Amino acid sequence: MNGMSLTDGQHEKGRAAGHERETIIELRNVDYTYQAGSPFAAAALHDVNLKIQRGTLIGIAGGTGCGKSTLLQLLNGLLLPTGGSVRVLDHTLLPGMKKLRLNALRRRVGLSFQFPEQHLFEDTVEKDLMFGPLNFGFTREEARTKAAEALRSMGLGDELLNRHPLSLSGGQMRKVAIATVLAAGPEVLMLDEPTATLDSAARRELIALLARLCREEGRTILMVTHRIEELLEAADEWVVMNEGRIVFQGDADELVDRTNELREWGLAVPEQLRCWEEWTARLPQLAALPLPRTPEAMARVIAEAVRGSAGAPDAVRVSAPESIHRSAPAPGSESPSEAVNEARSGEWEHDLCATN
Amino acid sequence: MERECTAAVELRGIDFAYEQEQAVLREINLHVDRGEWVAIVGESGCGKSTLVRLLNALLTPQAGQVLLFGEELTVHNAPLLRSRIGMVFQNPDNQFIGESVEEDIAFGLEGLCLERGEMERRIASYAQLLDITSLLHKHPGELSGGQKQRCAVAACLAMEPEIVVFDESTSMQDERSRRELLDMMDHMRRQGKYTIFSVTHDADEMLAADRILALKDGRVRGDRSPAAFFADEALLRDCGITLPFRLKLEQELNLLGIATEDVAGGAARKRKHPSNHATAERGQRT
Amino acid sequence: MRDKLIIGRMIPTGSRVHGLDPRAKITAMLLFTAALILSNGWPQLLVLAALSLIVLLATRVPLKTYLRTLRPMRWLILFVFLFQLLAGAGTEAAAGDGFLWTLGPITLSAAGLSAALLAVMRMVLLIVFTAMLTFTTTPSMLSRGIEGLIKPISRRGTGAERFSLMMRLALRFIPALLEEAQTILKAQAARGADYEEMNLKEKARLLMSLLVPVTVGAFRRAEELTTSLEARGYRIGAPRTSYRQLIWRRADTWFTVLFALLPVGALLVRLTV
Repeated sequence: MNGMSLTDGQHEKGRAAGHERETIIELRNVDYTYQAGSPFAAAALHDVNLKIQRGTLIGIAGGTGCGKSTLLQLLNGLLLPTGGSVRVLDHTLLPGMKKLRLNALRRRVGLSFQFPEQHLFEDTVEKDLMFGPLNFGFTREEARTKAAEALRSMGLGDELLNRHPLSLSGGQMRKVAIATVLAAGPEVLMLDEPTATLDSAARRELIALLARLCREEGRTILMVTHRIEELLEAADEWVVMNEGRIVFQGDADELVDRTNELREWGLAVPEQLRCWEEWTARLPQLAALPLPRTPEAMARVIAEAVRGSAGAPDAVRVSAPESIHRSAPAPGSESPSEAVNEARSGEWEHDLCATN
Repeated sequence: MERECTAAVELRGIDFAYEQEQAVLREINLHVDRGEWVAIVGESGCGKSTLVRLLNALLTPQAGQVLLFGEELTVHNAPLLRSRIGMVFQNPDNQFIGESVEEDIAFGLEGLCLERGEMERRIASYAQLLDITSLLHKHPGELSGGQKQRCAVAACLAMEPEIVVFDESTSMQDERSRRELLDMMDHMRRQGKYTIFSVTHDADEMLAADRILALKDGRVRGDRSPAAFFADEALLRDCGITLPFRLKLEQELNLLGIATEDVAGGAARKRKHPSNHATAERGQRT
Repeated sequence: MRDKLIIGRMIPTGSRVHGLDPRAKITAMLLFTAALILSNGWPQLLVLAALSLIVLLATRVPLKTYLRTLRPMRWLILFVFLFQLLAGAGTEAAAGDGFLWTLGPITLSAAGLSAALLAVMRMVLLIVFTAMLTFTTTPSMLSRGIEGLIKPISRRGTGAERFSLMMRLALRFIPALLEEAQTILKAQAARGADYEEMNLKEKARLLMSLLVPVTVGAFRRAEELTTSLEARGYRIGAPRTSYRQLIWRRADTWFTVLFALLPVGALLVRLTV
């Protein structure tokens, strides 16, 4: 309970007082072995130490079989550690303990699984949304309200409430699946690869929704992904796992220095880092700056650096024809960016000739 | 006779609807040459997967003709023509039939009525190509998703098809496996003996293709080179695709009056085959 | 955690039992079962027990693993034991055998106890021997073995082929479906419905709710699988060659003959004693 009151206090302080945030998740020397003691025993986590602060958006990255999903299941007591201790909010989970009445924890720590179908088993969306709240002891009326709220906070309209869950489109199904978890009002929301199988526009939209849940509603979000790129803009912090161990914890700026290791850990270097690396090689003064997260911000920073070092290296030149394009878009429907695009396709042709 | 015809696939006025439902595909016309790589894109439910299933008669259109290597696909020749098309699907779990990798590859070969010696030869050589030789005796349960998908590709290629369809094959893969698979597809294209169709949401995969066929509500919304495709914002929006970071950055820089080709598309990262327009961007993967 | 169903998975130890032809092992299994049914006395059962112990040791799978396969069956075994104990006592009482003790309507006799122990022994041997078969043979070898045994009996080839494909696919996908069901149970537990904390009625309701998503999942899988089978040129009845030929060696003959002696022996004992 005191955990709850603390939350409210923390909220008002906002993101500025980042370092004073309350640690709500703490793992100490956690091991987990599947089917321990049987001939099929398989270790999934080794000596994991981790601290997570309230109200942050954490990206958890790693290749297949690195232990990401196991980690999430330890945080709401679906699995108990086989070694070490897991503290989440005011619950402590230890090896071999009796797992009774974990609902108090699970209401506050929601987990959305990888495939949306795994959350959808009732015959209407509303019933699926009410399933959690009802189990956690809310009345039918409360559950109904919470269901509608959760749907709205995932950007979906009430008209879906009476639909059959399996009649929804892929993107809607994914959002409804997250809403079924959100309906119970968790303080921590964990998502296992929620963007897999979505197209890029839908992925962006989903991540924007999650970022809003974190920034505006103060929820702690843990999102597992194998594409760092998609979440780099939104995440406060990254946890990278490899072969059951945490090999990195820190923010995007610290990640910049570990580009080479990312490959070894079975991850793609996100394009943001790749582009930044290439530009830093040409404009060394960029290295001192924090990594700009959006293409707009990165372009601005690079432009400033270029202008600052005008007349210097031949690598970068201000190109006159394009400036003309930009300042004088064709009248009518064409937007400036489209004009630039045309210029760009021309550039590709140019590139082609330059190949050697 | 087939040799004279360069078209691997030709679709003429295809309409398709699942029973009693709204049309999924309308008036599709398409001509794909041998050795081309066509990426098929569009929002989910636009008919992409349906389209590729028409190619090997897994589905039959209500109207129009499907021609493979210049020959019209009918009920009678479907089994024969089908053996010239291989498919790799999204979820490797649901295409793994054997109890071990070796047996799974053998499954398709048994259907081709090959001698045991020939099966062994093909299993060995395609396992080597896909780097799964050490996995041949493993149970699918012991493999990672990426390894399973490589096995699926081996099982498909071992049947030595001329057309290979990748139906969202990269979408469930982690980064490492996705890149391995993309490199494999690229290798296949460079060999020149495969015509490749890939249904995808992945920007790298689209950029690697020769052509992008964009579908919207069951119709062809665009059929362009990757460069032209990514330059058309309205088309991208209709296909649910956002501009990849690198392209967006270049666009922004251009807006600010900075040319990027010297820096972003460094010569060292360029591809060997100059047939592609998107050379600079495709270099990202190496 | 829940007891995991470990029966039905091959444990590779590379023993000689692993190398036997699956047809030999399946035949041996059938003969062993026949012998178990025919044996009604301690000497015969002890012979069977001794023989199966030798086979189990030969598999080089730890005995502890075999014992674990009994755990999910423990309630059934207990039930059989009690049932035999009480029912056996009733029938034997008429024969005037020695009573151990009587409590109201419940009577226990030495013969009843013996019968109950025999029943338990039979069950244990059957379970353990089945486990031996699955620990040493991959499911596909099993289905090929069954196919090989059925083929001579069925007149037209496709029956055996259909059956074999069905077996192979079932064996491939039943574990996947169970896993899916387990994930859904976890997803429900995460939303406050923990199966392990429930009473029987709630459990039943929850399991019913699994029916829809698991069936949907099964259909989705089945659809993708048929597509994949078709795309790889599979047609029932179309001519196929076979990659893996089963090879019958001398050891297989000996193994089968050894097990063929068991029911014969048990029958002889039964007829003469």
